[in-house]
Amino acid sequence: MTHDDSPFLEARGLVKSFGSERVLRGVDFRIRPGERLVLLGPSGCGKTTLLNLIAGMLEADAGELLCEGSRIDAPAHGIHQPMRRRGFAMVFQDFALWPHMTVAENVAFGLKMQGLSRSERSERVRQVLTMVQMEGFADRSPSRLSGGQQQRVSIARALAVRPRLLLLDEPLSALDARLREDLKGELATLLRQSGVTSVYVTHDQSEAFTLASRIALMHEGRIEQIGTPEEVYANPASTFAATFLGVSNLLPYSRENGHFLLGDRESLTPVVLNGVGDTAPADGRLMVRREAVTIHEGRDAPSDSIVLSGICRRKDFLGDRHEAFVEVEGGVTLRGFAAPGIVEGTRVQVRFPPDAVRFLTH
Amino acid sequence: MTGRAGTRIPLTICVGLLGIAVAYPLGILFLQSVFPEILGGSFEGFMDAYRRIGETPEMVRLIRNSLAWAGATTGVAWIFGIPCGYLLARTDLPGKLWARLSLLVPIMTPPYIAALSYILLMQSGGFGDTLTGGLPEGLRAWFFSFWGVTLVMALSSFGYVALAVEATLSEIPRRFEDAARLLGASWHQTLRRILLPLLLPAILNSGLLVFLEALSNFGVPAVLGSRSNLPLLPAEIFYLVTSWPVDLALATSLSSLLCLFALVSLYGSRWLADAFGGGAYRPGAMSVQRLGPLWTLAGWGFIGGLFVLSSGLPYAAMILTSLAGSWGEGWPELTMAHYATLFEPGSRGFEAILTSLWLSVAAASVCVVAGSYIAYVNIRSTGWLQSALEGLATLPRVIPKIVIAVALILAWNAPWVPIDLYNTAFMLLLAYVVVYITDTLNYSNATLWGMSEHLESAAEILGAGRFTVFTRIVLPRLRPALLAAWLTTFMVCMRELVASLMLMPPGMDTTATYIFSQFEQGDISLAMAMATVTIVISTVVLALFTLRRSHGARAGARALGEVEG
Repeated sequence: MTHDDSPFLEARGLVKSFGSERVLRGVDFRIRPGERLVLLGPSGCGKTTLLNLIAGMLEADAGELLCEGSRIDAPAHGIHQPMRRRGFAMVFQDFALWPHMTVAENVAFGLKMQGLSRSERSERVRQVLTMVQMEGFADRSPSRLSGGQQQRVSIARALAVRPRLLLLDEPLSALDARLREDLKGELATLLRQSGVTSVYVTHDQSEAFTLASRIALMHEGRIEQIGTPEEVYANPASTFAATFLGVSNLLPYSRENGHFLLGDRESLTPVVLNGVGDTAPADGRLMVRREAVTIHEGRDAPSDSIVLSGICRRKDFLGDRHEAFVEVEGGVTLRGFAAPGIVEGTRVQVRFPPDAVRFLTH
Repeated sequence: MTGRAGTRIPLTICVGLLGIAVAYPLGILFLQSVFPEILGGSFEGFMDAYRRIGETPEMVRLIRNSLAWAGATTGVAWIFGIPCGYLLARTDLPGKLWARLSLLVPIMTPPYIAALSYILLMQSGGFGDTLTGGLPEGLRAWFFSFWGVTLVMALSSFGYVALAVEATLSEIPRRFEDAARLLGASWHQTLRRILLPLLLPAILNSGLLVFLEALSNFGVPAVLGSRSNLPLLPAEIFYLVTSWPVDLALATSLSSLLCLFALVSLYGSRWLADAFGGGAYRPGAMSVQRLGPLWTLAGWGFIGGLFVLSSGLPYAAMILTSLAGSWGEGWPELTMAHYATLFEPGSRGFEAILTSLWLSVAAASVCVVAGSYIAYVNIRSTGWLQSALEGLATLPRVIPKIVIAVALILAWNAPWVPIDLYNTAFMLLLAYVVVYITDTLNYSNATLWGMSEHLESAAEILGAGRFTVFTRIVLPRLRPALLAAWLTTFMVCMRELVASLMLMPPGMDTTATYIFSQFEQGDISLAMAMATVTIVISTVVLALFTLRRSHGARAGARALGEVEG
């Protein structure tokens, strides 16, 4: 019954409220087998609630959740498969390693529940502990491990049972920055190699980019946009998507006779977009990523660029380059990467290629 | 080396004080048990008393009875308390505040008063008979036996278990259970493999508290054990010391054995908790189980039933008896005459209340002053003297009160003691302080452990002396803890029975000895009126305490947790 296109997990119109607060307002998505879906969004967007719903810790108020074609949560049909029957595993933000068991006992727990023999268990435990480079710690108590080590064990415990679906709830957020960076890369390799279907919750876009095969960007209880990391970054579907991912310039515009007028109603800057905005809506926001914008002293711009002139108001050193904020006519400020020679307070040129421009209506 | 400069002298003073108050009497007691003639200056008869215990079948049975009874009480308290703790911590049972209060009532009720009330309820011609028109004789026989006495003791102490279990269950993060459920564990497996091991330290610690309380309790064995043909150690030690023929050698060796059992159970339960449970974790959000209407009813039935048994019935018997005018068939006529007698200035009852009040106030004040200073010196110093201080301060937590009372009698009655403390009320004051200074130490330690030494350094660097640092910096921080300690000590002194019975000079009474002696050979109604008055005073003080600290139950549970700490 599984041919390539049939989804492993499918959500249809999931709704969940806590009291009067609507946390999920109708969530739809499909996950194909082997996919790594990252639920990305700011705190309070409902991503953890969605994960807990998938895990079975919570029951949906409406909508349905299907796993391999069969309903596992469907309030309209009175169906709620208990979490222990779902065959999923989870990695928790606070690790949730049982303090009264050793590392090996923690990892073996799920295998014991599956009824594996003692020898199979110890073989599997050894295997997964090696996978997460914790083979030397089998008999330690979790409380004597560092945060990073604890999270490795927690990952091993989840992978050991070979789950149908691996759920990860901000697994790196309790670690310090350096450790987070290291473990992120390892986790990405581990997930790719094991081929396990996974849903990963985070508010950190760099984790999402590294780990996801697809990103579901969540906002106020809905999935705002879903796609590969490249798609979501390159073509944000909304103002929220544009601002939450990466650094962007968002300029209000309106169109008059083929000209784009940027800025507020009172003082508008007319811009010619060299043909790109022909199908753009009559008004909305024009988006250009910061990295597409360059700021120069010179006046000889390449003819294929859009060029605005303004005053450099601020210049910051970022380590590998400079960022400058330029106020163009009409009171609009743009940010971009600057040539080293730019001086604050002087007149400069802002350039960006027309194909870097996106139009957003909401 | 001392932790801070200049703590050597205060440390020496503290060790000296506790040495005289605690170590010296217990040392004499132990020596006396080994060398029965030591107070006469002779080393004759080495280990005679222990040999006698070993060779007398009744003594062996007595010891076995005591241990079995304390064990049975612990078991029953677990059966009552653990479900209560679970209901309070992990379910959506409505009216939890009332449920918690219902647990505090039996804890607040002195066990001997509960036992006396139960006698009034269950005895032939008692309230039980009046209510039901004759209790089944089988039930009466069962009550006045091993299990009946166990039930009364367990009812008065299962609240400790419930509160400790509730406190721990509320701290175990639900993640631990979620993780197990996700990996396929059933509810039952999660309970057995995750919750129970994590709960084990709380179960063992509260069980230890109940076990020690039962093992060393005097009141229940004295009033109920003697009527149920169940001789138990504390009561037997009491009779050996107070009734003719006095056998100090046997009393002290039984006392030493009692201490040994207490210490073994303390270290045994610690070892068990370390071996089979526990592990450190950070408290987290927990899961709450939704009870259906049927389970809600069952839960309240359980808690309510326990409340009726532990408080409702004994209180009804106590209050009715205190108001009963004349005894006859059916319901007695009600009167306030007994209370009037109690409060008549100059009467024995009134004198007893006054004596108890000033003794309790004095004892609580001395405990708070000395205890806070000892706790502070202890926590801010290191080295062997500090270890000695810590050891001495821990002793009264474990040593049964009856043993301390016997030890104090020996120590202050010895031929070489120059001052005549024995046979004055100050002897009793000393006993209260020795027995109950533990509470102040516990409360102070809880605060001091969380208090940075930098606060004191900051004052010292600005020129404050040691005394100023203690009075201006440390004491104000300790104030809430010390208030709680004062009230707790006051309440327990108001109801203290065994030391009062043994150390009270002739012709004087405390409320507890008054109740005891009136019940045994006087006016039962007067005894119960006094019991009611004692409980009312305790309740008023507790109400004050709860008003000051809104988390009364939690603070209580925490204080209980520290007893083992």
